[in-house]
Amino acid sequence: MKADLAAALPNAVVAEFITEVMTHESLQRYAKASGDLNPLHLDPAFARQAGFDDVIVHGMLGMAALGRLLTEHFPASTIRTFNARFGAIIPVNRALHCRALLDQRGDTLLTLTLEARIAGTDTIAVSGNASIALGASD
Amino acid sequence: MAIDRRHLGYTLPTFDVTVEPERLAEFAAAIGADAGSGLAPPTFMKAIEGEHGSSRAILEALNVDLRRVLHAEQQFDYLVPIVAGERLSVSRSVTDLYEKKNGVMEFIVIESVISKQDGSIAGRSRQVVLVRHPVTATAA
Repeated sequence: MKADLAAALPNAVVAEFITEVMTHESLQRYAKASGDLNPLHLDPAFARQAGFDDVIVHGMLGMAALGRLLTEHFPASTIRTFNARFGAIIPVNRALHCRALLDQRGDTLLTLTLEARIAGTDTIAVSGNASIALGASD
Repeated sequence: MAIDRRHLGYTLPTFDVTVEPERLAEFAAAIGADAGSGLAPPTFMKAIEGEHGSSRAILEALNVDLRRVLHAEQQFDYLVPIVAGERLSVSRSVTDLYEKKNGVMEFIVIESVISKQDGSIAGRSRQVVLVRHPVTATAA
């Protein structure tokens, strides 16, 4: 699927998807694959000591979902910058509703505003932006 | 306990990481991405820079309690794509320390540079870590 950019106006949603539910197993798999073994994401007792009800999702797993949204529409080699702010914790056993909105389309660079809401809520857990080089492959 | 400002500029010894194809595929699977392209997913730089427990090593060097830490912000700049099989060098430093809300919230900025073997920079990463300090109880 290619994001429909030709006719898009600023702030138009150009791509979106909802992730799978992020379970304890998802977090264990991400911890192993990423090397981020912080027990906040793996050990419920530790998470409670830190003030949470259960383990929380790695912020980077939320950012990775936004990254998927990018690479499903643009070759990874054309991404120039990708930034995220983790505004709210993501509880375990939730999905993320990821959206990319058009910011600006220049001659050589496309900029997008990104957000990941906890699915079914208004809570924006990850907000960010990305810039994409528009080149021969576009 | 506030972070000692003498840690500003703390730099880990540079280390090398080989991007094993299996590791790249495992990472792609863990984030639900298609592993077919052989190109690293955009957030894979975080896994590269975190090799050898380097993120925890920085926090421990700064005497930070892991229970008080949250990831606040993350930025990536991409210069040359990272591909399966190559060897990369990683250098990481603490480039800023600041506080908000009278020190209840402290922030650690860690910047990483990921280089190829020919010395060219593949990408840069800038992470902001939030340290949540307990509000000091006043005497009853």
